[in-house]
Amino acid sequence: MNENPMLPYLGKLVEVRDLASEIKLFRVEMLNGGGEAFKSFQPGQFAFVSAFGLGEAPFGIANSCGRGPTVDFAVARLGSVTTGLHELGEGDMVGVRGPLGNWFPMKKFKGKNLIVLGGGIGGAPLRPVIQHVLDHRADFGTLTILWAARHPSLLVFTEEYNEWRAAPDTYLHLTVDNPDEKWDQNVGLITQLLEKVTPSPENSVTITCGPPIMIHFVTKMLQEKLGFNPKNNYVTLEARMHCGMGKCGRCNLGEKLICVDGPVFNMEEVGGLLETYL
Amino acid sequence: MGKPDPDKKHWLISQSELESWLDGIANARTLIAPRLEAGLLLYRPVTKSDEIAWNRQLPRSSPSGRPVLSVKEIFFPPTEVLFSIKKTGQEIHLAESFPDWETVVFGVRPCDAHGVKLLDALFLDTNPVDSFYARRRENTTLIGLTCQSLESTCFCTSVGGAPDDAHDVDIMLIETDEGFLVEAVTEKGRFLIPGGEWKETTVTHRSSNYAAQFPVPDKDNWPEHFNDDYWSKISERCLSCRACAYVCPTCRCFAVRDETISPGEFERIRCWDACAGENYRRVAGGHKPRAEKGERLRNRFYCKFYYYPEQYGLGTASACTGCGRCIEVCPAGVDITEVLIDLEKPA
Amino acid sequence: MYEPRIIAFLCSWCSYTGADTAGIARIKSPANIRAIRVPCSGRVSPELVMRAFDQGADGVLVLGCHIGECHYDTGNHRAAKRLPILKSLLTFAGLEPERIRLDWVSASEGDRFSRLAGEFTDSVRALGPVQWRVSHDWKPVPKWNLPATQEVIPYPETDFTAKEDAIRAKARELLANGQVSCVIGYELSRRGRTRPVFIYAPEEANRLVWNQDCTNNLTTYLTGKLRPVKGKEPPKPVAVVVKPCDSKAINVMVAENQYRRDQVYALGVSCEGIQGPDGNLQTRCVTCQEAVPIVCDALISGATSSFIPRLSSYAKEEITKLQDAAPSDRMEFWLEQFDRCIRCYACRQACPMCKCPECLYERDESTFVGLGIRLNEKRTFHLGRAYHLAGRCVGCNECERACPMNIPIGLLNQKLAEEIEAAFDHRAGLAVVPSPIVTVLSGEYKEG
Repeated sequence: MNENPMLPYLGKLVEVRDLASEIKLFRVEMLNGGGEAFKSFQPGQFAFVSAFGLGEAPFGIANSCGRGPTVDFAVARLGSVTTGLHELGEGDMVGVRGPLGNWFPMKKFKGKNLIVLGGGIGGAPLRPVIQHVLDHRADFGTLTILWAARHPSLLVFTEEYNEWRAAPDTYLHLTVDNPDEKWDQNVGLITQLLEKVTPSPENSVTITCGPPIMIHFVTKMLQEKLGFNPKNNYVTLEARMHCGMGKCGRCNLGEKLICVDGPVFNMEEVGGLLETYL
Repeated sequence: MGKPDPDKKHWLISQSELESWLDGIANARTLIAPRLEAGLLLYRPVTKSDEIAWNRQLPRSSPSGRPVLSVKEIFFPPTEVLFSIKKTGQEIHLAESFPDWETVVFGVRPCDAHGVKLLDALFLDTNPVDSFYARRRENTTLIGLTCQSLESTCFCTSVGGAPDDAHDVDIMLIETDEGFLVEAVTEKGRFLIPGGEWKETTVTHRSSNYAAQFPVPDKDNWPEHFNDDYWSKISERCLSCRACAYVCPTCRCFAVRDETISPGEFERIRCWDACAGENYRRVAGGHKPRAEKGERLRNRFYCKFYYYPEQYGLGTASACTGCGRCIEVCPAGVDITEVLIDLEKPA
Repeated sequence: MYEPRIIAFLCSWCSYTGADTAGIARIKSPANIRAIRVPCSGRVSPELVMRAFDQGADGVLVLGCHIGECHYDTGNHRAAKRLPILKSLLTFAGLEPERIRLDWVSASEGDRFSRLAGEFTDSVRALGPVQWRVSHDWKPVPKWNLPATQEVIPYPETDFTAKEDAIRAKARELLANGQVSCVIGYELSRRGRTRPVFIYAPEEANRLVWNQDCTNNLTTYLTGKLRPVKGKEPPKPVAVVVKPCDSKAINVMVAENQYRRDQVYALGVSCEGIQGPDGNLQTRCVTCQEAVPIVCDALISGATSSFIPRLSSYAKEEITKLQDAAPSDRMEFWLEQFDRCIRCYACRQACPMCKCPECLYERDESTFVGLGIRLNEKRTFHLGRAYHLAGRCVGCNECERACPMNIPIGLLNQKLAEEIEAAFDHRAGLAVVPSPIVTVLSGEYKEG
């Protein structure tokens, strides 16, 4: 008979490290059938990670397949499942169900300039995009990364910024809402940074991920002030999910399910939906 | 799920022949049939046919024989164990067990049978196939029973159904003055029929032409009303309970939980949930989409008539079977037929 | 030979130290005791005790400081008030009362600790293994046939027009002079069923009706209507049509600072009673004590009093029959009832008092009861909810009326109402007084 699609693969935590304040990175080595399932996954897909006994929750896959075979997840400690995950260490087992959802159409982006905007932990699902572009640098135009957080302690993947900056035609701009004494870069919201950077819509696509309110104001500015066509503004959305495969009905945004029709959408699609994600 | 029976045979049997047939089924398999419990009609396992609530014994709560809950709970039970978890030190062991007993459900009303068909679109016809639902569906035979009257809240005829629609069952029974007319609808149903001493008949049952009680808006007429303030108005009386969704033959939202059995032993279960609840979409960070009752009630109606049909390819049909249970159980008087009639009216 | 597993909640300051003292002095205590240290016996909430039994404990022992010696002054008073009420509830549900014990042990009383622990263990051992948690595939053998109310009173012929007109006139007046922003009343739906309605303009007042089917307790809508919203103007007062039973809920909610008395305009209707589905008077009406609303700003009364003499206690015969049965029979009765429950929460949502932003029994962490729609969980939900309503439930019985599965949950509320009245001489809703077993930490109502 069919496999139980709700049964997760087992994965071993081969690395657990702090990414930012109350945010950890989990590197999972997939075991048994999981290795096959995760042999190829695309930037933008997600998976359910189980803290057995507490539950499972969806997380964006935070690395590109080319940088595998392990799978990275960035987890902020907010509720019971994430607290349970934060209590695990190297060698502990988690469950992983996936890869789920759709992905960023990297093939369509070839030859284009990419502008990546990440707010807080929203940067995690964008890291696979950045890694993919860096690993296939000649296939893409300029890569402009706008990375924001409420406070320097909440910036994610800080140790990789030098690698990003060092790549050809790749520009990294950081900003925080509230600086600390050591902060010497931009201060302000990501929309203010965007106004400063003013990327051109010419042959460009944008990819935004962050809290709903940030997505709203960023995409508004991209379209109204900077002249982007909404179909070139990509976002990755989230909602509370329980099955991740289009069965439980919970994650609908109007007529679309974020888990199967998304989580990647372009703003032209989102604009046509009945419900807003706000 | 139902290959039509090529023979298209019909029989006319007496009440006592029906009862002994059902007794035989109950001996070999699990037989589920409408039964009286605490003054309610419910689909429940029966061991003998005399436990069934026949048409002459119907309670005041269901004068036409519509059980309080639909047959949904047989294929998609309120709680299902997805797998068990055993944790020893750093080791995890997962174990599954699937339902595998044969079931026959007798007395399925056409609206309920149609509800199962609608759930098939989600659980079977859309990948990935749900293994629990699929097993139960394969191991279950549906014996339908046409309705001789409608409850005041029934409106199946307005959503493309009929009290004697045989499409979605394996065997259809029609109670007549001469006895029960038995129609084998599918091969699976035919397999269950003993034939033998049963009197064959050439009288067939033709589904009567029923007029719709009221017109129901097309799927494509729903989007334009999404932002009307109608929804917040009608939702004021809604209590945000889940009674309507749980008695509905097609509502399918579920929650997934890990429950502790003992130290190191857990179960991952799924159980019924509904979009009516205030915390249904709340995320760990605290953000709560659909915080307003109007947004939640609107979602329930839109899902039934627009989202679910779009998502699961129902064509022009809605996901509502017109059984009317939601109207009956709502403690606050929310009425789906009012919504349908109001939406059809010009703005 | 079965050895009972006893969970003992011991308070840090007294009884836990008392147990320590026993140990240090090498006074023997039974090995059956599994101690859980709590800061105070007042911390032992009913959920913890029920969880212990749900997980297989044979007995639960709660030991606190002697009265007058509590480190937190009145913590043990809470235990002294709450646990006997919980015990009577669990007894009513079929648990043997000897399986729960509350007592007092001071830090120096090692002997006393050992003696109490020993006595309790012996008495629990004598009862045999606990029969409380049932397996998931337990199926009831339907056998209980509760009598319908001991006296079935047919609904009398009544002319409602005078009251209906008076309600409409008053509503019209209140909306016209802007005294209230909304009137919550009853209307007839298009298919002729009476249901709640919210009217905002004087012209709409003719939608209001008064009849034998005005069953909903409309005060349940007040909390949502009067909830202050950050950054918005404070909500204007709301008028609500209330029957005598409904009106008591206003007192309870005002006592609990859910809203202020001056935010509610009570259109109190003196009520002949409400009809049940069988055409007879509803069971709560059969035993109603109050013909005139307790909380009332405008009284809508009929020309003649058609008050029918009532029986003194709701469902007395049913409760007595249950109390006289053996514990195991009682337990089977309730399991049979809860087996039908689908956890739709219609009961909870209909109740004016159940207004926790997140129900304790629905938390994601499911600490006190699982979220499965399974028998053990369903029973714990209902018993726990009944306990949370002790001293607060006003007996409108809307929970039972709203239940689609005919579960007589009103019996639980009535039983606890009797216990609270016997122990504390308190009946919910007759005055602006919180439940005697509720601790109010702050009395200030904060604006906005």
